[in-house]
Amino acid sequence: MERRVETCDVAVIGGGPAGLAAALGARRAGAAKVLLLEREKTLGGILNQCVHDGFGLFLYKETISGPEYAERLAEDVAREPIQVETGAMVLDLSRERVLKVNSRAGYRSVQAGAVVLAMGCRERTRDQIEIPGTRPAGVYTAGLAQNLVNLQNLRIGNEAVILGSGDIGLIMARRLLFEGIKVKGVFEILPWAGGLERNVRQCLMDFSIPLELGSTVVEIRGRDRVESVVVAKVGEGLAPVAGTERVVGCDTLLLSVGLIPENELSKRAGVELSPLTGGAAVDETLMTSVPGVFSCGNVLHIHDVADWASFEGFAAGERAARYAAGDRPAGTTVRATPGPLIKYALPQIVTAGKAGVEWSFRVTRPVRDVGIEVKGKTSGKVYARKKYPRLLPSELQKIKVKDAIEEEIEVGCHE
Amino acid sequence: MSERAVVDRLTCVLCPVGCELEVARDPSGGLEVQGNQCDKGVPFALEEILRPKRNLATSVPIKGTAATMVSVRLSGPVARDMIFPILAEITKLRPEAPVRRGQVLIADVLGTGVDVIATRHQGADSEERPSGARRSDPKPSS
Repeated sequence: MERRVETCDVAVIGGGPAGLAAALGARRAGAAKVLLLEREKTLGGILNQCVHDGFGLFLYKETISGPEYAERLAEDVAREPIQVETGAMVLDLSRERVLKVNSRAGYRSVQAGAVVLAMGCRERTRDQIEIPGTRPAGVYTAGLAQNLVNLQNLRIGNEAVILGSGDIGLIMARRLLFEGIKVKGVFEILPWAGGLERNVRQCLMDFSIPLELGSTVVEIRGRDRVESVVVAKVGEGLAPVAGTERVVGCDTLLLSVGLIPENELSKRAGVELSPLTGGAAVDETLMTSVPGVFSCGNVLHIHDVADWASFEGFAAGERAARYAAGDRPAGTTVRATPGPLIKYALPQIVTAGKAGVEWSFRVTRPVRDVGIEVKGKTSGKVYARKKYPRLLPSELQKIKVKDAIEEEIEVGCHE
Repeated sequence: MSERAVVDRLTCVLCPVGCELEVARDPSGGLEVQGNQCDKGVPFALEEILRPKRNLATSVPIKGTAATMVSVRLSGPVARDMIFPILAEITKLRPEAPVRRGQVLIADVLGTGVDVIATRHQGADSEERPSGARRSDPKPSS
């Protein structure tokens, strides 16, 4: 017996700030049948637990909280004839863009004309940074703590130490303080804060929470529950310096030590990943190495602002719709690689002859009075140059090239 | 070089240039701002030093729905030293579902001229909520 295979023009995997925007982008570009798949029961992704304000400044021209941002975007989606399925888990994705979906409707295959990956990211854990010591309760990733406190009304401890100064860690320092939990300090291994400056000021300095740069947790102590952590200064190669250890009493340790794009499905489809971003290597249309599979938001690279994840989503959705309608990139491709002081530059692949390509990039460390150059590796031609009084690794930046690009490119930072 | 007692260093966030401002007390006791590349930098720095304003966001337990919490914030920024007094008012809130986004839960909280508003929709019982969310009693206030 022959079974009819379900089809759609564009399938979007993930219903957070990037995926919601991708579904809208696909509709705006004329895709008739758009399928949005979200594994949680509610749309919005991580925005639902980000109750603090500061979202929407670019998309909605006002500062709102995460839940408001999610609801507004989800309402825009609801106004369109987009097939939204929550509680739907995509178990597999093939190179031929066949999705295996498990949902309340059962298990089924969907053949998509184009796919947008928008699965977001997850947090780096204790195991990944290898903190020695016992294995007591009371060690949380910052985002998990955020979920427990903001959505589930659970008290996670009484005295906390925060390792890592990423934005979620900073936000949670203030949040714990509001919940009556004492925050003993934020410890950051690097000589600069990982999160945005605004968050350092408004979440730590406002409440006199100490931020110790160049130091880390070298041991966790406690049998059933965390009883203390040992912190130490770091020196050469970020190695702890003997003799600088100090015991800090606490029953809770929050880890805000980085985010990892969640690309298990991408790997199953054979998508080439960039070791620099942890996400797919994409071209200027946000298409991955697998034709018809696009990527956007935190599954592509980690964003500091949700609005930019959404803008990337709009773009990926539009391109996916065009691909599904038969639009194919023409011509050979060239590579773009990061030059001095640049952590990564995205897109990593450019179709030769393309004009108006915009790169997203991050610097490797805080720099002052620099010029960012997009340079041809063969000709030495500078395609674009932009001056900055100051750049921070926590801030994702952009630079656009007007001219057509015909050669391998390097995006570099020059002091 | 004059005697400059530096009060604070901060980055102006009014535009992407991000001027690094240094606020110092001049010999006559007044505040002096340096490092601004435009006129807006001075009032920005002075307000941040003298009368800093902040928004405040948290979540409160909600009744009458499967969801545990509804998130709230202020309709606009308030003087920073009002944060904890307002937080104490918000802690007393036990709204009943349905609550809609933007609904005023406390009007003109403590006479500040701003409202405490809900930041998401929480329908009554029938609606589905995020996995893991469940009803629970308010935590003890200890």
